[in-house]
Amino acid sequence: MTSSQMVSRDGRDGGLPVGEAGAAERWAAILGGTALGLAGARRGSWAGAALMALGGGLFLAGAAGVPVARALREGLGEAHLPDGLRSGVAGLLPVAEEPTTTQAVVTIAAPPETIFRFWRNVANLPRLMSHLERVDVLSEKDSRWIARGPGGVELCWTSTLDKVEENALITWHTLEGAELPHRGSFMLAPAPGGRGTEVRLTLVYRPPAGAGGRAVSRLFGSAPEQQSREALRRLKRLIETGELPTIEGQPHGTRGTRGRMQEGME
Amino acid sequence: MKALCWNGVNDLRVERVEDPRILNPHDVIVKVALSSVCGSDLHLLDGYVPTMRPGDIIGHEFLGEIVEKGPDVRYLNRGDRVITVSIIGCGKCWHCENGDSSLCDNSNPKPQYSEAAYGHCTAGIFGYSHAFGGYAGSHAEYIRVPYADFNCFRVPEGVSDEQAVFVSDAAPTGYMAADMAGIRPGDLVAVWGCGGVGQMAIRSAYLMGAERVIAIDRYPDRLQAAQMKAGAEPLDYTRVDVFDALQAMTGGRGPDVCIDAVGMEADGYDTGLEYWYDRTKQAMGLESDRPAVLRQMVECCRKGGTLSIVGVYGGMIDKFPMGAAMNKGLTFRMGQQHGQRYAERLFEHIRKGELDPSYLLTHRLSLEDGPEGYAMFKKKTDHCMRVVFAP
Repeated sequence: MTSSQMVSRDGRDGGLPVGEAGAAERWAAILGGTALGLAGARRGSWAGAALMALGGGLFLAGAAGVPVARALREGLGEAHLPDGLRSGVAGLLPVAEEPTTTQAVVTIAAPPETIFRFWRNVANLPRLMSHLERVDVLSEKDSRWIARGPGGVELCWTSTLDKVEENALITWHTLEGAELPHRGSFMLAPAPGGRGTEVRLTLVYRPPAGAGGRAVSRLFGSAPEQQSREALRRLKRLIETGELPTIEGQPHGTRGTRGRMQEGME
Repeated sequence: MKALCWNGVNDLRVERVEDPRILNPHDVIVKVALSSVCGSDLHLLDGYVPTMRPGDIIGHEFLGEIVEKGPDVRYLNRGDRVITVSIIGCGKCWHCENGDSSLCDNSNPKPQYSEAAYGHCTAGIFGYSHAFGGYAGSHAEYIRVPYADFNCFRVPEGVSDEQAVFVSDAAPTGYMAADMAGIRPGDLVAVWGCGGVGQMAIRSAYLMGAERVIAIDRYPDRLQAAQMKAGAEPLDYTRVDVFDALQAMTGGRGPDVCIDAVGMEADGYDTGLEYWYDRTKQAMGLESDRPAVLRQMVECCRKGGTLSIVGVYGGMIDKFPMGAAMNKGLTFRMGQQHGQRYAERLFEHIRKGELDPSYLLTHRLSLEDGPEGYAMFKKKTDHCMRVVFAP
C-alpha cells in the first residue's frame, strides 16, 4: 500500500494543513514521525525515507512546522492503530518491522583510489547532498553529521565506520540515540573495458513513519532512489570534470506567469 | 544585451536581458558575431519540444570571439575567433573520451527530464529546452560556453566566418550522417531533405567515396542548390513516386545508404492519407513525431543497406514497418552530432576547398529581425536556406 492510498482511505487526501506547529510537535515530527504513518509503512512506500539517511531532508516536515499531532487527534485517532504503534509520538522512535533498502549505482571514469579518497574525506559529502550542512570528523571512526532544513532547524547525528577496505568498501551505521537510524555502504568495483569504476551506494533505514515523512515527500516530490542517485551523480560530475553543470545565474527574457510556474515546479 | 527569446508557440521576441557571466571555472564568454537558425529550432517554435519556458534564449549554431574566460580554461584565450559545437560535451566522461560527445554524461544540469523520458540522460544543448539542460542560446550579443576547452574550436586562417559558423552544427551533422553510414566507394546514397544538414550530408557522402548521391525534397531552390553546389541528382517527391524513381535509378536494388535529414516534422505530402494519420495523431498528442521519411527509407533502401538518421525525433512514432526493416536486414545508425570529433577535420576540408558550407547562408539579418527571420526560414520564402543573425 502506498502512502497516498492510505491517506485517501482515511479521507484525508487533502493532506495536513500546513501551519504553525508547536515546537514540541515539530520536534516530534523531526524525530521520526508519528504513529499515523507507521500504520501504512511498508517497504518502499515512504518516499521521503531515504532523504533522511541522505542528509536530513526528512527533518524538513518538522522544520516547516507541519502540525502533525493536531491532524492525528482530529483525524485518524490513535484508537484505530494496532497496540504496538500507539506510542508513536511519545516513543519518538517508532520502529517498523522490516527495514527499507535503497540502492543507487553509477559508473565513474576514474580509478577507485580517486573515488575512495573523495568519499573517505567525509568533509566532502555536503557537496553531494544538498541538505547536509557539514560533517565533522570526531575520531578515526566517528563523524558528526549536521543538516539544516528551511525552517532553520539544525539536526545532527553521529555515524561510526564499520568496515573500511581501501579502495573497495566503506560501511557505517548511526550510533545509539541517533534521531534517524540507518546503515549505509559505499562499494567500489572496477568496470569492464576500462570504463572506470562502478560505484554502489546502499542505505538501509527504518521507515521514518509519519505525516512528517509524507509532507517531506510532497515537498520534494521525488523518490528516495532519486535522491541517492543525485548524490552519486554529483560525485561522478565532481570527480570527472571538477565542477557541477549549472545554468543558475544565466540571462533569460521575461518569464511571465507560465515560466515562473514551470520554474517553481522544478 | 539584446537576445531573441522564445515566448510560446511561434512567439519569438527580441528582449533586453542581462549579460551572461562566468558561472563555472571551465566557462568562457563568447561575443557572438554570427548565429544561425537551424531546422531543429522549428520543433521548438512549433511546440513539439516540451520543457521550453517563456524567456528562454534560443539559437545553437554560432561563431564569435572569446571575451572572458574562467580560471580553469587552459587552451583558449581572449580574442580567439571560435566556433562552438552546439551539443555540449564535458570532455571527460567515457562517452566524450570515446568521441561520442553528444552522449555526454555530465553536461546536462537537468538530467531528470531525459532520464524519465529516455531511460538515460542526454547531453546539454544551447538554447534547446530544459530537457537538454536549459542553457541560454546564441541568438544574443554574448553567450556563456561551459567546458570551453572541449567545446570551442579556433577557426584556422583561410576559413571565413560564413564557412566556419556551420561547423557548429549543420556541417558536422551532415558529415556524421555520411560517416556513420559506413559509405564505401561505389555506394549510391539517397538523402531526404535538402536544408543545411542535407546539403552537408550530400557533400560529405561524396567525400567518403559515394558514387552517386540522390537528393529528395520538394523546394525547387533547395533541389537546385543540392544539384549545383553539392553535386546531387535532384528528386522532387511531389512530381515522382520516390520508391519507383529510386529503384529506377539504382537498377532495382535501392540505395545502399538512406540518410534522414528531415526528422519529426516531415511534410510527407506525397504519402497522402499516411500524412494526415500522423498529423492528426500528433495534434492530439497521441504521437509526438511524424515518421514519413523513416517509413519511406525502410521501403526504398536496398536489402542489407543502412539508414542513417540525423533528422531530430523527440518521442514516439507509430506504424513503423519493422517487418520490412527486419526481413531486409537493414542497419540503423542515428544520433545527435558529435561535432567535437569532426570540427578539425571539417576545417581541413574547408581549407582544401573540398567543402564550402557558406552557401547555406542566404540571409544575413540583424538580431532585431529575429522573429521575421524565423518566419522566413520556416516558410522558406525568398529562397531562404539559412538565416544568420549578426547581432
